[in-house]
Amino acid sequence: MSAAVDGELSEREQQDFDQHITWCISCAREYQESKKTKHLIREKVVRFKAPESLVNSILKLTDSPS
Amino acid sequence: MTSHNKEEQQISPAEAQKQRDFQEEAIQHINALYNYALHLTMNPDDAHDLVQETYLKAYKFFDSFEKGTNCKAWLFKILKNNYINKFRKNAREPGKVDYDQIKEFYHSIKDAQSDSEDLNAGYMKSLMHDEVYQALHGLPEEFREVIELCDIEGFTYEEIANMVESPIGTVRSRLFRGRKLLREKLNDFARKHGYGTE
Repeated sequence: MSAAVDGELSEREQQDFDQHITWCISCAREYQESKKTKHLIREKVVRFKAPESLVNSILKLTDSPS
Repeated sequence: MTSHNKEEQQISPAEAQKQRDFQEEAIQHINALYNYALHLTMNPDDAHDLVQETYLKAYKFFDSFEKGTNCKAWLFKILKNNYINKFRKNAREPGKVDYDQIKEFYHSIKDAQSDSEDLNAGYMKSLMHDEVYQALHGLPEEFREVIELCDIEGFTYEEIANMVESPIGTVRSRLFRGRKLLREKLNDFARKHGYGTE
């Protein structure tokens, strides 16, 4: 199921899956719910940026000979 | 006559190339790495140190990195190993979740950021960002980790399996169960605030 949500199925597996959810209501529902959850995480979880001091210190490390 | 004189600060062409390649390939992932380090450590100072050490190590072993493969995945693996070596040894009790601590941490770091992402209406408008964050961090670590790596960082199953050192089947089932658990938690939050769940 999660492989379907994440696009990790092979072509054959995808076909089988698509066929399955046309008639299996509980799987179809689970699929929708899982997709929603995944979308929610992507949209809602805030991503933090590295502080400038960190970026600078790392840039420095590759600027000077080691 | 002046070979290997440290004061001269001259580097070989190979070294210069290595620096360029590293800057081109590796530095761009710094935000993702920092974000991941924060998830792991829940502490900005620790995350800072962790990322720094990761890059130091990565630069040192950059020659062993296969160009053309996923550099981000490679860096993540190094970071994870550093984390385990450094922090897991003095591990907190597993399974203990302090929601107040998570909330506090989330808000403190969010305030410190001048341009974190905008509030997005998205699917479940009633849920606030911090609740989703809390719900995610309330999950057992093995579930939370795969969700982060898959949904937030966009790694493939194969890459994730390599990073967490588990078979792909395990990754699949953790994602399935993790998302399900997360849904239940989010529904709880929504219910507590009097919103209908969908």
